[in-house]
Amino acid sequence: MSLLAVSDVTIRYGRLTAVREVAFTLAEGEILFITGPNGAGKSSLMRAIAGVTPPAGGRIDFGGTEITGRAPEEIARMGLSMVPEGRDVFGSLSIEENLMLGTGMHSRERGWKARAASALEEVYDTFPILKERRHGQAGLLSGGQQQMLVIGRALMTNPRLIAIDEPSLGLAPNITDQVYERLIALRAHRKLTLLIVEQSSTRAVMVGGRMILMRGGQVLLDGDAGAMGQSEALQAAYFGYGEH
Amino acid sequence: MLQVLFDALSLGSLYALGALGIALIFGVMRLVNFAHGDVIAFSVFALLWPSTDAVAIVFAGQMPWFLLIPFILAVGAGLSVLSEIVVFRRFRHASPATMMIASFALGFVIRYFLLMLFSSRPKSISLLPALSQPVEILGARMPLLQLITILATIVMLFALSVFVRKTRFGLEMRAAAENFTMARMLGVRANRVIMGAFALSGALAGAISIILGAQTGTADIQMGGAVMLMAFIATVIGGLGSLEGAVLAGFLLGAASVVMQTVLPPEARPFRDAFVYGAVILVLLFRPQGLISARGTKERV
Amino acid sequence: MTNLPKVKSVALRTISTPLILSAVLVVLALITVAYGSRPFNQTMIDIFVRVILVTGLYIFVGNSGVLSFGHIGFTCLGAYAAAWLTMPPMMKELSFPGLPAWLKALQLPYGPGAVLAGIFAGVFALIFGRILMRLSGIAASIATFAMLAMINTIYANWESVTSATNSVVGIPIVRTIWPYLIGAIAAVFIAWAHAISRHGLALRAARDEPTAALASGIDIPKVRLVAFTLSGAVMGLGGALMAHSIGVVTPDTFYLGLTFITLSMLVVGGIGTLTGAVMGVVLLSLLIQGLRWLERGVPVGESTFALPGGLQEILLGVVMIVILARRPSGLFAREFALPAWLGAGRGKSSAAPRNVPAGDA
Repeated sequence: MSLLAVSDVTIRYGRLTAVREVAFTLAEGEILFITGPNGAGKSSLMRAIAGVTPPAGGRIDFGGTEITGRAPEEIARMGLSMVPEGRDVFGSLSIEENLMLGTGMHSRERGWKARAASALEEVYDTFPILKERRHGQAGLLSGGQQQMLVIGRALMTNPRLIAIDEPSLGLAPNITDQVYERLIALRAHRKLTLLIVEQSSTRAVMVGGRMILMRGGQVLLDGDAGAMGQSEALQAAYFGYGEH
Repeated sequence: MLQVLFDALSLGSLYALGALGIALIFGVMRLVNFAHGDVIAFSVFALLWPSTDAVAIVFAGQMPWFLLIPFILAVGAGLSVLSEIVVFRRFRHASPATMMIASFALGFVIRYFLLMLFSSRPKSISLLPALSQPVEILGARMPLLQLITILATIVMLFALSVFVRKTRFGLEMRAAAENFTMARMLGVRANRVIMGAFALSGALAGAISIILGAQTGTADIQMGGAVMLMAFIATVIGGLGSLEGAVLAGFLLGAASVVMQTVLPPEARPFRDAFVYGAVILVLLFRPQGLISARGTKERV
Repeated sequence: MTNLPKVKSVALRTISTPLILSAVLVVLALITVAYGSRPFNQTMIDIFVRVILVTGLYIFVGNSGVLSFGHIGFTCLGAYAAAWLTMPPMMKELSFPGLPAWLKALQLPYGPGAVLAGIFAGVFALIFGRILMRLSGIAASIATFAMLAMINTIYANWESVTSATNSVVGIPIVRTIWPYLIGAIAAVFIAWAHAISRHGLALRAARDEPTAALASGIDIPKVRLVAFTLSGAVMGLGGALMAHSIGVVTPDTFYLGLTFITLSMLVVGGIGTLTGAVMGVVLLSLLIQGLRWLERGVPVGESTFALPGGLQEILLGVVMIVILARRPSGLFAREFALPAWLGAGRGKSSAAPRNVPAGDA
């Protein structure tokens, strides 16, 4: 059974249609890249999945439950953790406060404190730089460190699915490499399902897994990233020639 | 000299508490709440039995102080939370202008509700009369109340600061004030945080109404107005959304008012507030973001 | 949106809005005269005065998108200026002993007095605006608030020139409805002319697309200053006429209460449209009047049904909240206009106002 199912989702801003009847599914443990040029509707789709902008049409299911139009906090509490574009760290909060924020949803459960502490240790093991500066202001971290912080923060919620919007945005290539290295390791270690949005398909082809290519608010291609990397269809779809 | 300092501190306390009540709500909702002044008035009138006489029929006001104070704070908090549930929840996605006018309309409703029950005549009440005794400190005589006002404000500010810094609720509130959408995506419940902010803000309004009621010995429907005007201004020049800034600016405005009262020549003294407002415009020109500019406050979606 | 269309063609396309609004006002005036009751006459005069005030407010707030809490300050300036210009010299000696001798000796008819009062308020708006228009957003709103409080403090304390908080009596009272109707129609046309002028178009462009407007070279503080000055003058004119309609002024007449009632009318009507400004006043005023009427008591069969005192304001507040919650951009988010097929030139008597519901754009 699929963990996430997006069926015929349409998103509008006023008269502008950003996403038109997009459908895909994501199985437990899978890694899925959504790629496409600027304005393809990738971020709008992510915001709809997270419950920030409810779609104008279609439905979204997560873990067998419909989540269309639910509040962002409810969706987060069901185990879908969103890392939005632009690394929204809470700049005035300390790094540890940023991380602990995500554990609040479990504070009614028994033994959550111990679990939160061990989750914190785990994040610190994965990203030692965060531990070093745990009491410093998050706003003062570099871009790469902030990206690690938001991924760590998403992990703290103990999610079933992490959705990340453009993790490489504004990062130097070697820093992006580091971020991906950790993500892949985490996925193997915690059996996470990953949904990653990237503008370029290079990273998807490198990492492997499934890839969806969007353009103009619609899905053009859906298939194995490695196989697509070889084909000319990708180039054609991406740059928009040979379409007709 | 010492007298001036204490006057400045006690006036500043009122402004700071008022500004804090507004900043708390602005932080999580981007709402400038014009009904705050009317919550202050309502809290005092909750002590009285409805009547239109000049002398108040004390109802809940006969409680001993250790029950009276929590009662007023609870009334303020309750009314504030109720206004969130009944009114402001419907305006979460509205523009700041619409929200401001809605809050004004709500204040209007509260004010005329009081007017209907109590008439517009100010009523004399004796709230915590023991506090009007003068005391002597370092050679300056002042009402005990002034001293208690300052001390109580300091205690409240300290307690609030610990609450905001050390508790989970405080953490969630700070996060929500900075980026509400992101906080929600981490499972922070919007309704809970907003209602909490309203409750705290309402309790602060209750605290102001105790101080004002004890200071003036009257319950007046207009009593919140003058303080709130300065408190709004303090919230803005403190840097909207910044709690520290609101407190700082509140005390600065109190100090500016008292200092101008003593420094200005006698014939200019009636115009004191005009000078204070002029100074406010100057501050805004040089620091439009306020004294302590709020952190990258992102728009809520 | 930032390349400005030719002003003339815009004028032709939009002239129907002020015409329809004026027609509404004229109809109201005619009904009043036909009805012939004095209290009703006074009510309608109050409505026309508020139309002037809210239209004046719209010129700045509606076009710039900056909420101003200070405009009633200009109304205060205009009202007192009218008192200085039109009261009999003897009464002035009593109320304003500190006025210069030439001003004390002067006694103008109310018409020129009102125009001069408007200009006086406009000059002050220009001076305040030079300072305030450098600000934007909430800082600008609060600065206008501080300006209002400043004007109020000065007028409430400057004994020799304003009679401080005492009521100033002896202002000639004008009871015919026509001057107020003319004032209201003039305000509507001033607002329309400004909105379609180069400055007005630039200001709205800056409101909707600030970045694009800056990039295309619009001097935002300047176009804002023009609107601020003009709206200050209209507010001053409204203040003068308000003084003549009630015959008494105090500083607190022109303070928070009037500020909020005028702002509410604008926001409920529709903050971004001239139609909203005018119709907001008309509808809310009629509502207030209706509630007052219920408060006084209505015979129902044998008994009289009356609302308890104070309930009128409470219901008004509740209605405002409900309207704002249902229609955040106000009742009239679009201007009244003739249907497109009628064209601007061939207005028929059947050109009933069209209320187009707000889209979600």
